[in-house]
Amino acid sequence: MHDRRLSRCPQGLCRCALLILALLVSGPLWAAKVKLDASEWGHPAGADCVSCHTKASAGLTQQWHESAHQKAGVNCMDCHRADRSEPDAREHEGQVIATIVSPKDCGRCHTQEYEEQQGSVHAEAHALIEERVPALAHNFTGAAMQAAGCDQCHGSRVKVRGDGTLDPATWPNSGIGRINPDGSKGSCSACHGRHRFSKAQAREPEACVRCHAGPDSPDKEIFEASKHGMIYVAERDRMNLGADEWVAGRDYTAAPTCVTCHMGAAGKLPATHDVGLRNAWSLNSPVSERQMLVILEDGAKLELPSSAPQPKRGSEIAKADGNLGKVKAVATPDRRRQAMNLVCQECHGKAFTEAFMKQFDSVVELFNTKFAIPAKAIMGELYQRGLLTSTPFDEPIELTYWELWHDEGARARHGASMASPNHAWWEGMYLVGRNFYGRFLPEARTLAGDQVAEVVEAHLQGEGHQWLVDPNQASTILGFAKPEPAAPGTEMPADAREAQ
Amino acid sequence: MVRLRAPLFITRHVLIALVAGGLGGVLFMVFLMEFDHFTSSNEFCTTCHSMTFADAFYQKSSHFNSASGVRASCGDCHVSEGVFAATWDHAVGGKDLIKQLKGQLFGPDYDDPVVNALHLPEAAFAAREWFRKRDSATCKRCHNLDAIQGKRGGTAAIHQEEAPGKTCIDCHYNLVHRPVPDQSTFKREAWNQMVEEEFGLPAGRAAELIAGH
Repeated sequence: MHDRRLSRCPQGLCRCALLILALLVSGPLWAAKVKLDASEWGHPAGADCVSCHTKASAGLTQQWHESAHQKAGVNCMDCHRADRSEPDAREHEGQVIATIVSPKDCGRCHTQEYEEQQGSVHAEAHALIEERVPALAHNFTGAAMQAAGCDQCHGSRVKVRGDGTLDPATWPNSGIGRINPDGSKGSCSACHGRHRFSKAQAREPEACVRCHAGPDSPDKEIFEASKHGMIYVAERDRMNLGADEWVAGRDYTAAPTCVTCHMGAAGKLPATHDVGLRNAWSLNSPVSERQMLVILEDGAKLELPSSAPQPKRGSEIAKADGNLGKVKAVATPDRRRQAMNLVCQECHGKAFTEAFMKQFDSVVELFNTKFAIPAKAIMGELYQRGLLTSTPFDEPIELTYWELWHDEGARARHGASMASPNHAWWEGMYLVGRNFYGRFLPEARTLAGDQVAEVVEAHLQGEGHQWLVDPNQASTILGFAKPEPAAPGTEMPADAREAQ
Repeated sequence: MVRLRAPLFITRHVLIALVAGGLGGVLFMVFLMEFDHFTSSNEFCTTCHSMTFADAFYQKSSHFNSASGVRASCGDCHVSEGVFAATWDHAVGGKDLIKQLKGQLFGPDYDDPVVNALHLPEAAFAAREWFRKRDSATCKRCHNLDAIQGKRGGTAAIHQEEAPGKTCIDCHYNLVHRPVPDQSTFKREAWNQMVEEEFGLPAGRAAELIAGH
């Protein structure tokens, strides 16, 4: 479908439309210049903060001293100042401040980055799973794990208590989807370590490691295991990480980092702080979907599966919070893929890029059709027939199913997307298969009892499962020689007999 | 031989009056001192039930449990030094006693933990203002700015270099009792909501209680 579309659309026009779309939802070629007038910063009380904090917390003050903020004359108060009406405003040494510097606060100067980031999957990381968290974090372990685990990556919904203090169940937190007291979503310091806010640090793959690691999204491990990661380590000194402008193919060519592909400027493709913009697939869902990004007039964004009808520009659509918004632009999965391909093509040929994406798409489609869709249907049957309680994780098969898509399935899909053969296979799809045939199906069959034909077997009619039908597909893979052909009259060649 | 004689107007009666008055005065001063001493004690202050809420937080504070063994009593912080100032503070503080007693009949009952918590912020603001007006005089009974060393490297330098123009209470509040935000950023609705959550009250009940319903 993707290729047919391209062939119908004249190449230049297509590319031009893509760039216009990219400009619409992202910015210029590199980090936007601050447009706010310099008279708007350099708060007079800033010097007092620095004087005292040099003694009280020398480390963070020193970091600020080494920052671009310091050089530009941006001081503590410029970021931490608050209006007394703000929920988390507090008096501190005669000034009204807030401990939390929200994306909205950063957005006073970094307006474009703020606008791009709002509505992104990063900014929505808490909101997207808020309703689902208690089932796993609270029931399965305990609420303490939400603060120390889930929310440290997804962000917390920060609670300001009536006495003005921040509830320690929700703070400290620099999770990327943090819901701040001022209503803005996200945490810039999730990637931009405070208080030095180094450009080079944010461009490093390590900026992403705190969350994109581990069993469900081992992107750090995948990157390291890929050729990209290998070259990055070997040629890090040629990455030009501290450059003011960092356009792939122009300012550096050694290797890509996470930022390069998911956010960075590349050739004519502008940079964006919407990290999911170039993602054609949802990879962390029970069944992957190609997804449309709907951008609304008020800056909100929505991810819709491409199977849903494409909303028209100017039409109204219900947002995640239930309110209506007017559609400003829609980025189809094909357009998003094209944006990603533009990054690849700074180093790779077009045919190479598209063939790689074909390999990746095939893995996702394989996961969907062979494992994800049947497993989801079987689970649906078990729930519908009352063979499972509606409480998640109180039956072993629920953990089996969870790991199938959330851990093993995600690893396979991520591994294929970023070229780590080990994660695509041994850490990924091999385990998906082992789980599906070795745990999931036996558990489902036991639960289904005499309804096994409708509940389980009816969903295993796809050709991917037909290999089970023939028990005579001998192979030496397990270390056993193939049995002698049973058919009478067929003689083994003489040399083979001798070898035996 | 010269006889020392009292002036003629010192009659026996005058002499008796002088001695009695002098003794009375001394006794009165002793009484005031003892009275101030007694009424500054933790035992006296917490005879009112409403004060036990303040006491609960105080007992968890470093002013109750200090490493050095020094324990600041209610009066050490909240009653001025000197018999006249102390007497004055107690006289002014008497209005709290009247409020307390009045609360048994009508008006806010400060013995009720909910009412007490709802009215706490105003009490805290008044107490901070009291400290500020006196240049934190009662803090300085024990704490000497020049002697502050602290456990961390910068503490002494901060108190030498950053403190001029400030008084103790400007920075050091919410040390002993239940934390209350500074008046400049205090939000009554948020405070009420916190109290409602704490005592399991329906939303809006706190505002009704403050209005006296």
